[in-house]
Amino acid sequence: MSSVGIALAAFVIVTAVATALMRDVFSAIIVFAAYSLGMAVLYTMLLAPDVGLTEAAIGAGVTTILLLLTIAKTTRPSSEKLFAAIHWPAAFVSVVLAGVLLATVGAIPTENFAGGLTPVISNPDVTGHYLAETYNQTGVTNAVTAVLAAYRGFDTFGEAVVVFAAAVAVLVVLRKEVFT
Amino acid sequence: MSRPDTDRPYTESEIIMTAVQLVAPFILTYGLFITFHGADSPGGGFQGGALIGVVVLMLAFAFGARPTREWIGNGLITGLAAGGVVIFVGVGLGTLALGGTFLEYGLYEPFLGPDATKWGMEAIEIGGVAAIVSGVIMGLFFLTAAGFERVGTEDSSEPTSSGGEEA
Repeated sequence: MSSVGIALAAFVIVTAVATALMRDVFSAIIVFAAYSLGMAVLYTMLLAPDVGLTEAAIGAGVTTILLLLTIAKTTRPSSEKLFAAIHWPAAFVSVVLAGVLLATVGAIPTENFAGGLTPVISNPDVTGHYLAETYNQTGVTNAVTAVLAAYRGFDTFGEAVVVFAAAVAVLVVLRKEVFT
Repeated sequence: MSRPDTDRPYTESEIIMTAVQLVAPFILTYGLFITFHGADSPGGGFQGGALIGVVVLMLAFAFGARPTREWIGNGLITGLAAGGVVIFVGVGLGTLALGGTFLEYGLYEPFLGPDATKWGMEAIEIGGVAAIVSGVIMGLFFLTAAGFERVGTEDSSEPTSSGGEEA
């Protein structure tokens, strides 16, 4: 678990940096799909299969196809160089932001990722409450689905409408009235 | 002007067509399983709906966007996306009408029995979220595949400029 997890984390970081630096858009999209696939496996290893499924289907699948379609519709500048020139101010901001985020990692118990048995729970009281009460209160065994559809149903309603609004927005931008 | 190659199949490769023909039924089954079994195993409407939508994208890649688009049709995509929102709103407003709060599934117990909360969640996961996501994914794909056509819209007020020609 530990060595595989570290290897996956390194793979994800390398592909993320490569996505940012690739000169060719097509290469960047392919590397980005690999990044999503690595993240999907990583989420699954971190006991978040719901998120992993979403990342694999949306991140690696749908997003890649839509991006490929988009570059098929636009011009693609050809270049001999593999990597683009690094924009140093942006790189500095990225490194600072990553450092700030890494500084917060210490607040999360990470025993499980390192191979121990303690689950990664940032607030054991809240998590424990949902894990203990979900079946009694909702009748379903997947606590993630219960939180999504019952406890936070109104939030999910907002998310679903946002997805719907995305389709409407693309229709408006492309000045069409039908999808086909 | 749409380029002539956009409506042809993306590939005439026998390998891709055969692979899609083999894999698509399993992905569709898996997507339906993820959708309908999301309450008791990892997954749910969002993940399952995405997989169901991806099946259509795979078919479009193998057999071309235009035949798939004509086979699916606008009614199905619009029905899925808008119908999902209507179902989700309907379930939520139903509990409001019964005197509760939005999506307070327990109020359906006189009609659905003691498992009303579970049935309500399944309704918005399967009938709401899964339908919206699958419909929107298909719609976004076909819209992106068709692209932007500056000329041909009769209601556009500005005259068609020569800049509409794509490189």
